[in-house]
Amino acid sequence: MSEPAVLEVDSISKRFAGHVAVTGLSLTVPRGTVYGLLGPNGAGKTTSIRMIMNITMPDEGSVRLFGDALGGRHHSARIGYLPEERGLYKRMKVREMLVFLAETKGVPRGTAAAKADRWLERLGLGDWRLRKVEELSKGMSQKVQFIACMLHEPELLILDEPFSGLDPINQQVLKDTIVQLSRGGTTIIFSTHQMEVAEKICDHVCIIARGKKVLDGALADVKRQHGGTHVAVAFEDGADGATAMRAISDLVETADDSGLSAELKLRPGADPQQVLERLMRQSLRLRRFERIEPSLHRIFLDKAGPEAAEAERRDGSHA
Amino acid sequence: MRKVWAVIRREFIERVRSKWFLISTILGPVFLLAVGILPSVLMTRTGRVMEIVLVDGEAGSLATRIRTQLERSSRFHITVLSATQDRLAAVEDSLVREVRAENLDGFLSVTAATLESGRAEYRGRNVSSFRDMGTLEEALRRSVVVERLNRQGINPAVVMEAQGRIDLRTLRISRRGAAGESGEATFFLGYAVGLILYMTILLYGINVMRSVLEEKQTRIIEVLVSSMRPFQLMLGKVVGVGAVGLFQFSIWAGVGYAMLRYRSQVLGWFGVSPAAASSVQMPGISAELLAIAGLYFLLGYVLYSSLFAVVGAACNTDTEAQQAQQPVMMLLVAALIVSFSALSDPGGQMAVTTSLVPFSAPIIMPVRVATSDVSTSQLAMSLAILAGTCLAVVWISARIYRIGILMYGKRPSMKELWRWARQS
Repeated sequence: MSEPAVLEVDSISKRFAGHVAVTGLSLTVPRGTVYGLLGPNGAGKTTSIRMIMNITMPDEGSVRLFGDALGGRHHSARIGYLPEERGLYKRMKVREMLVFLAETKGVPRGTAAAKADRWLERLGLGDWRLRKVEELSKGMSQKVQFIACMLHEPELLILDEPFSGLDPINQQVLKDTIVQLSRGGTTIIFSTHQMEVAEKICDHVCIIARGKKVLDGALADVKRQHGGTHVAVAFEDGADGATAMRAISDLVETADDSGLSAELKLRPGADPQQVLERLMRQSLRLRRFERIEPSLHRIFLDKAGPEAAEAERRDGSHA
Repeated sequence: MRKVWAVIRREFIERVRSKWFLISTILGPVFLLAVGILPSVLMTRTGRVMEIVLVDGEAGSLATRIRTQLERSSRFHITVLSATQDRLAAVEDSLVREVRAENLDGFLSVTAATLESGRAEYRGRNVSSFRDMGTLEEALRRSVVVERLNRQGINPAVVMEAQGRIDLRTLRISRRGAAGESGEATFFLGYAVGLILYMTILLYGINVMRSVLEEKQTRIIEVLVSSMRPFQLMLGKVVGVGAVGLFQFSIWAGVGYAMLRYRSQVLGWFGVSPAAASSVQMPGISAELLAIAGLYFLLGYVLYSSLFAVVGAACNTDTEAQQAQQPVMMLLVAALIVSFSALSDPGGQMAVTTSLVPFSAPIIMPVRVATSDVSTSQLAMSLAILAGTCLAVVWISARIYRIGILMYGKRPSMKELWRWARQS
């Protein structure tokens, strides 16, 4: 028998006065995966995470962590949580605050202090450990927060929008750390709407839109099952992208047009070879022409974008 | 339990280390010092000797008598200047100039008519000092009386003897026997007890509120409640801040004890003679009173800090909290106001009733204990009601707190708060 999943969510729903935040969400997070919870703003990611963390109770459904239903608080020593709304004790010293937060997870003070020093050093904050939190820049305090949620070496790390507000350098640092933790066996769940990052580090994804799950599974499966023929094209500088796109418009279902490059989803039956011929006839110089798997970005737009919302509304009214 | 301990520790350490704690800890004894010592310093300090001219407008032996009387007080340096009736006005004019030139503090004119009419005149730069004017008047009165008696052929010594000073000592009878406490000292003690309790309960209650609000505003609350139950967090916070209060109390008590113990030395630094120091009676502070005040501080603090915790949990901003704390503060202010009437009538209907009402008991009851004897049954009843209310309020507060800390947006109404309290 396989190991129990780290997290099993069984059709949880949450309603607030006036609106439904999450409806019948179910998902399973296998041990050792990096699990991306993707969705546009207001999709219900944070509400779902809060229910998983036992901060708010679901109106319906159940959450099982590490194979039981005792709740996040019971397992808090095994879980690290980085909430979306970031905050720290402003007047505390960085290291003392980290020690305090680790203590609330049951780590002895001495151990916590040593670990805090190590991590601060590693993320380039070594000189700041005796400074007050209020002196830190936004990026720095975000890193401190990240340290705070993993100092007790949790088996499961839940990060709500960990990348938002970080500059590229710090995004890279954070990404590397997540990958490293994952290699060490930590299961990581994180929510984001930055598809590029998710695509790079996730094994599993779950796309949520309007409080419902629209898709989940291993990233490779998700891409395979998305279907359609996808082509990436890139033109040389100075090329007239717009004319080129017009020339092939009857073969293309949707295009993510970025001017000098585009990701195309072809109409059913259309052949990529045909597209290439047409483009050549425009006497355009191509830098790239490649048949690709759909990007997570494309899948996300298809599944959670405005057209998907429209389709859902139509289905709803027919039913 | 370890988590609660971590919260207690953090609240305690962070507060004790803060500037705010240092300042209030130092200012506390300074305040006590001021209240306890300043009056005796002000009353006994000799100050400057006043330079006074006594204008003897043919008043005969009266002038010499006044002079002897005044010089006894050693606060006046007297120069007698004789002037005939017709030259009196001119002499006085020149003295006025001297006073204006600040060579003289003032002058007292007595004439032959003074003995009959009892009228004399003092003109000086400063006539508002009650003490100095009182001494002048007393000296004048005594001298005139003696002169008049002499004229009637009565021996003044007999009259003085008959008028010997009458002194009503007021002593408080308590169960411990007649203590050597004066009414004033008791009043002062009761007043101080009420004021200190009011200030500390308010101060530390508001501290709890700020702490709750800070965690809510910085959203660190989410991290905390994902690792512990909200009740554990609230418990740790209330206990931690309360421990700071007790710590500060014990510092003050230590300093206060030392002050009473070495009072004459301390007063000596301020130039007060030991004899003068012992003339100001200090209230007797019994261990019983300290224990009761401590107990009521704790219960009162628990009661009010849980109410303040609710205020913090229900608000989003400091401004909102400042408004929302008003009703809770009013309860305390009302208790303080009632305590003033309890001071003058500690056994009265009003005092007895309010010392049983849980929201005013933490202030009124210790005031009553400090100023009178409270029966054990009343004390027990008051404590039981207070403790019971504490439990109920803490329970309800914890339920509101639990939901409030995770709610953002519009401030909830009383109705909503009640709904939160009943929510499972």
